[in-house]
Amino acid sequence: MYLWLALLWIIGWGVVGAVLIPRVYARRDLDVSQAALAGAMVGAASGPFGLALLAYFTPRLDWKWVVVPGAATVAIFLTAFAATYPNNLCVSNSAFVLTQVVNGLVVGIIYGLMALGLTLIFSILGIVSFAHGEFYMLGGMFVYYLTQEWFPGLHPLAAVVVSAVLTFVIGALFEVLFLRPMNTGQVERPGEYAILVTFGLSFFLQYTTLALVGANPKKVPRYFDYPRLAIPGEEGSLLKVTPGTVRLFEEIVIPSPRVTAAVIALILLGLLMWFLYRTWIGKALRAVSQDRQAAAVTGINPNVMNTLAFGLGGMLAGLSGASLVQVFSWVPWVGTQAAARSFVIIVLGGMGSLPGAFVGGLIVGVVEALGAGCVPDPHRAAAYIPAYGMLILVLVLLLKPTGLFGREL
Amino acid sequence: MKRVLWSVLLIVAILVAMVPMAVAAPARQGDAGFDYIVVKDDWLSKLALKYLGDVFAYPAIAYYTNQKAAEDPSYAKITDYDLIEIGWKIYIPSPEEAQAYFATRAQTLGVTEGETIKIGALAPLSAPGSVTGGQAMKAAFEIALEEINEAGGVLGKPVELILVDTEGLPERGTAAMERLITQEKVVGVVGEYHSAVGLTAKEVAHKYGIPIIFAETWNDNITASLYPEVFRIAPLSSEVANLDANFIQWLGAKKVVIMTENTGYGIPAAEQTTKKLEERGIEAVTFSADIGTQDFSGIIERIKAENPDLILVLLTGETSYNFEQQAAEAGIGPQDVMMICNQVADDSESFWKNVPDGNLCFYRKVGLPPVLWNEKTKAFAEKYMERTGKTGVESYAMEAYDSLWLMATAINNAGSTDPQAIIEALENIEYEGVLGTITFPYNSKNPPSEAGVEDKWWHQFPDFAAVFIQYQEPGQPSSEAPVVYPEKFQTAPPILP
Repeated sequence: MYLWLALLWIIGWGVVGAVLIPRVYARRDLDVSQAALAGAMVGAASGPFGLALLAYFTPRLDWKWVVVPGAATVAIFLTAFAATYPNNLCVSNSAFVLTQVVNGLVVGIIYGLMALGLTLIFSILGIVSFAHGEFYMLGGMFVYYLTQEWFPGLHPLAAVVVSAVLTFVIGALFEVLFLRPMNTGQVERPGEYAILVTFGLSFFLQYTTLALVGANPKKVPRYFDYPRLAIPGEEGSLLKVTPGTVRLFEEIVIPSPRVTAAVIALILLGLLMWFLYRTWIGKALRAVSQDRQAAAVTGINPNVMNTLAFGLGGMLAGLSGASLVQVFSWVPWVGTQAAARSFVIIVLGGMGSLPGAFVGGLIVGVVEALGAGCVPDPHRAAAYIPAYGMLILVLVLLLKPTGLFGREL
Repeated sequence: MKRVLWSVLLIVAILVAMVPMAVAAPARQGDAGFDYIVVKDDWLSKLALKYLGDVFAYPAIAYYTNQKAAEDPSYAKITDYDLIEIGWKIYIPSPEEAQAYFATRAQTLGVTEGETIKIGALAPLSAPGSVTGGQAMKAAFEIALEEINEAGGVLGKPVELILVDTEGLPERGTAAMERLITQEKVVGVVGEYHSAVGLTAKEVAHKYGIPIIFAETWNDNITASLYPEVFRIAPLSSEVANLDANFIQWLGAKKVVIMTENTGYGIPAAEQTTKKLEERGIEAVTFSADIGTQDFSGIIERIKAENPDLILVLLTGETSYNFEQQAAEAGIGPQDVMMICNQVADDSESFWKNVPDGNLCFYRKVGLPPVLWNEKTKAFAEKYMERTGKTGVESYAMEAYDSLWLMATAINNAGSTDPQAIIEALENIEYEGVLGTITFPYNSKNPPSEAGVEDKWWHQFPDFAAVFIQYQEPGQPSSEAPVVYPEKFQTAPPILP
């Protein structure tokens, strides 16, 4: 009951603020770029009182005017939720909440890695790759076949590296063969062509894999058996590790394959950042993403950068697959949901923004985990997992259409 | 006075405004057929959907219009379904007339003039359907087809099997059935795995009067609609729920978590099981997830907080593997609480690869337990394992195999490809299959209402067997895993975590 009242309040005054405040600011000839967002937030948090003050004093709106009322809005929502469902685990059990958040962050890192590949392709080639999920699938499949079928005994990390090379080669080859004609004027409508040809690649990869390896789910045993240890001691330990699990503060349990996957992803992120910001090629890539013509003038070959970007993008998806094939069962259509999630993340973070993709991944990971954990009806909580990300997406697009880190126009 | 005048005026205005609406409102379904003048933006299937409630009913409009045109030249003559002109007078038949047309057409369709007898088959061969299940069924169909043709085919002609991928999607089921019946001109259809597809496929079978034998669709409503064309050799979901509840009670669980999938199979199955458990005084909480969900960590923490004695997994395919292994990693796997895993666990090679911590899993296996296998089951199992390289035979492979043999036998018994004759032959059949002796005791001569049973038993194979098996050693092949329930088939007592 409280929850619905609170939602009504938040949405109602939020809408009023978003409509009213920009008008007030426009009439007084003030900067309106943040007015809608700040108006919505202030309205949602404080209703008519805050809006009246805002309209009367019209202070200069910076990020503080978004973040502070935004936090207050979230607090109102959470209080109402707690008042409505006092017995909900998310209200009564803090260890449960922490576990959900940590689990969400751990998968969020990997979501972020995958979305990073998609955003890289978008920022350099200016196209959305619909075959991104299939690279994710291939990354996992390669690790499975390398370690289980072709070279039994091969160290999984070596297989991850080989799988990265293979997905890179497939991506780069595809770019040279099918996407390059877009830039040489051989294709009449490059935008539509890119959509169709990457869709085609998606089907081709998925069904070829299905034909070659069959539909039986595959899985790689966990890459590392962790050593048993407890810090500081067995009793009341802060960190306790067994071969299969990592336990923090006695309460938060994370299966060890997930920790491995998240650590691999973090290392890769570090490497990627170093590559993009510290090497000549990385800087060239970013230069092309900022201005194609200007980059070409300074002697960067945009065609090579395109190939590199598509290969790298595919490789990042492949690497997230390669680090997750020890966590999830792997089938040829495993990439479909992962790709859909990546689209949500990059729009949420801002199309073409690298930090946006990473932060977006974390947000979606945590929101999905909390949604699955906190939605009161157990029948629906997990069934709506794909919807939680969408909900956040809709909210962000309504309030900030460029995404969280998108370039302002 | 003025106000009264205004009110009256207002009412009159509203009435006047409504008259054209009433005139424009077409005669709806259930009325008699009527004449119709084609206007702009009409096309036949649109009219069929509007007046007959079925897009695919457009041939009926053309047929009746052409019949009228033969007597009365003011009607148009439709030679091309895709071409009607504004101003044409056409005849929209009543739904009953359309039904009659499709029934007669099915009879002419059913007469196979070619060199072969065509039988249609449905199976999910690509995602989001259960591809694992579909491919197992495909292998079983192929074995049955080879055997039937080696044995001389049907009515002296070789059988041609036309297998269509339904993708586990209801709308694909409709399209597949339309294609099989109207284009491929099959005399009967067998197979299918997903109930959601079965529910739409049965409507098409009924429209054209073509017999269909469902192999692995458990939803009660498939047979409960009492369609004469629909037969089923799969178990009934409500009866399986009963069986599950009995087993859970026998194990002594007091609180159960049901982890089900968000589908036409999963939701009713969970509801039925919950009902049966409550009747036995056992508490049940249901969680559901979409097919294809990978990450269950959030939901597993919630299940942990429920503190159940037993977890019943009604997810299918690789989704069930994901859940079972992640539950085990989080400390509520089959070695921590009792867990009834999904029946795909029967494919032991794949199960152990995906759920390495799955020891002590129970799973339900439909079909005769190995101790009751007849000669036919043994022969089929041998061929099947040789062809697929698996170490066991899944129940849906057995059902697919039997469904095709059953259809072939019925056509032979009928002595013709007339759908009515085949349906009659199926009602009287007593067929020795790998599932046991298949009969359909509740049929047009002994309808469920007179026999005092529920409608779901209509054209339903009643004697399906099901047992519970438990893996008792890591890596155990399913052929060696013992039967733990029912007690009369028990080969080893259950090991409780």
